[in-house]
Amino acid sequence: MTSPKLKIVSWFTQIAAAAIMGQTLYFKFTAHPDSVQLFTELGMEPHGRLIIAALELIACILLLIPSSIVYGALLGSCLMAGAIIGHITELGWEGPRLELGILAIVVLSCCITTLLVRHRELPLLKAIQTDKPTQRGPRNH
Amino acid sequence: MSTKLAINLHKLARFTNTAIPIFTLLFFIAGWQISFYFHFITVPMLGLTLVNCYYLFAQRNHSLLRNFGILGQGRYILESLGPELRQYLYSGDTEERPFNRTERAEVYRKANNIDSASSFGSQNDFDATEIKLRHSLFPISKERLLPYQLTFGEERGIQNTYTLTVPFIISGMSYGALGKQAVRSLARGIAQTGGLMNTGEGGYPKYHLMENCDLAFQIGTAKFGVRHEDGTLDEQRLAALAAKEQIKLIELKLSQGAKPGKGGMLPKEKITAEISELRGVPMGRDVVSPTHHPECEDYPSAVAFIRRIQEVSQIPVGIKLCVGDPRQFAELIAEMKRQDSFPDWITIDGAEGGTGAAPKAFIDRVGMPLFPALKLAQDILVSAGVRQRLKLVASGKLINPGSQIIAFCLGADAIATARGFMLSIGCIQAMQCGSNTCPVGITSHNPRLERGIDIADKALRVANYIHSLEHDLDELLCATGVRCVRELSFEHLYVPLESALYPFTHRN
Repeated sequence: MTSPKLKIVSWFTQIAAAAIMGQTLYFKFTAHPDSVQLFTELGMEPHGRLIIAALELIACILLLIPSSIVYGALLGSCLMAGAIIGHITELGWEGPRLELGILAIVVLSCCITTLLVRHRELPLLKAIQTDKPTQRGPRNH
Repeated sequence: MSTKLAINLHKLARFTNTAIPIFTLLFFIAGWQISFYFHFITVPMLGLTLVNCYYLFAQRNHSLLRNFGILGQGRYILESLGPELRQYLYSGDTEERPFNRTERAEVYRKANNIDSASSFGSQNDFDATEIKLRHSLFPISKERLLPYQLTFGEERGIQNTYTLTVPFIISGMSYGALGKQAVRSLARGIAQTGGLMNTGEGGYPKYHLMENCDLAFQIGTAKFGVRHEDGTLDEQRLAALAAKEQIKLIELKLSQGAKPGKGGMLPKEKITAEISELRGVPMGRDVVSPTHHPECEDYPSAVAFIRRIQEVSQIPVGIKLCVGDPRQFAELIAEMKRQDSFPDWITIDGAEGGTGAAPKAFIDRVGMPLFPALKLAQDILVSAGVRQRLKLVASGKLINPGSQIIAFCLGADAIATARGFMLSIGCIQAMQCGSNTCPVGITSHNPRLERGIDIADKALRVANYIHSLEHDLDELLCATGVRCVRELSFEHLYVPLESALYPFTHRN
């Protein structure tokens, strides 16, 4: 079982990830000029912006519902990986972009930490016994 | 002849392992040069690549994943789905163990009070091993049947005898093995029929007592509820329990069919704070009862211990055992005769008996099956001339009238079943009794699972099940032309060649 201490760590990273992702949603959904500018550079304006925003909203919600945390973390890390790819290939890291890029990396690390802590809850991994075999001592009388 | 599959899985796996990173790269380039939307595929592929690398190079637990990577995962997924797929889709109606779908369905129908008539013929294998009841050419009508009555303790002439009027006893299931909702459902249901319920070795039977039903208090080898620190009997606590209005009988468990020669087990997953208090055991550790009672070292001490419990409790006292060697059983009976001291009943538990937890070797390989063991016990008691000194109770997979009537023919005075009653309150044979994850909440202490059980509804099913069993028993008795179960005998059975009972057909 996942130890209670690790679970607390996981809740911190979940909430941090959801909070950082969540506060950008407002700019995306309201078509803030900066956000529109970003997505125009990526060639995804306006549909891509709305799709990404909707997926981020879903990830935030999943991250906060106990039975779906790992799915939220999975979705969140995919989105952030995409964001980082965007920074590498199109957006660059100058000026305010640096801050955005670093936030994406922070959210990605939060999501991955959550996944590592809760790897036993992942649906496919569940089929596999992930614990290392422990040693059984000789008979004691 | 080649035994290779048409698809070479090893080659396919090598192809997959090479293709995943290449495709990831291709999609990355497409996302970069053509449209950013391609990264919707790049990112999951990237994840897949990482997981595959972990399987192939980092983890060391699973050879299959080290050799085949992500494709090897398919085996684990399919294997984990196997039990459900087999149960739902592929197993025949008479294939599953311990109870096949027809047997379970019969209990469900009885519990729901639905007519259990079936059409077009039996699904059983007719010629080989099925024991049949020999009906009479002249069946009798129901009015001629005698009411069922079995008085425990009458042989000893004690004051507090107990008369059983329902021949079907709920066999020993403790609070601990079952959750509180299930215990209360069973207790309320049996109370509605006036029957008897065994508490199992779970210490003070707090929840069994709540519904005002007649109880047999079971003393297991750990003596939960009536023990001193050193594991010996605490007479004062036993006397206090026996003085309770609802506790009519005491059953001393010497061994249990599912794990004869081994004490009861309660896995740590199922030990809540309340259970640890009721039993006086620590939490976070499996509780394994001792293999035997310290008071029962040999035949004389065992018989003396039974007598001691009888004297302390002042109510009928029986023993429960699974027969291993019939000669030992005969010797035990001989010792009872020598000391002129008998238990008020003996429950013969067949090796097919169920349990919440036992090592697989014990479940599968230890102890005699019920029917031959019961027949041997009956023969030993008769030939020792002491059959009238005690009652015989049979238990072990006796969930349907067809198997119950056989046990009656073999000498049983009453039937005890645990799993039959579990099925009646909705058990779906998920076989997770030891892990606290019972999907219908019967053997779980998880409140989220237990909430599935509505006590009033389930109690009704227990009562229905008993009334249906009584109804079927009456009809079978009429067909056999006897007025009560005591008139049944081995002669009423047709035993085919391959049955375990066949050797007994030539004894007389």
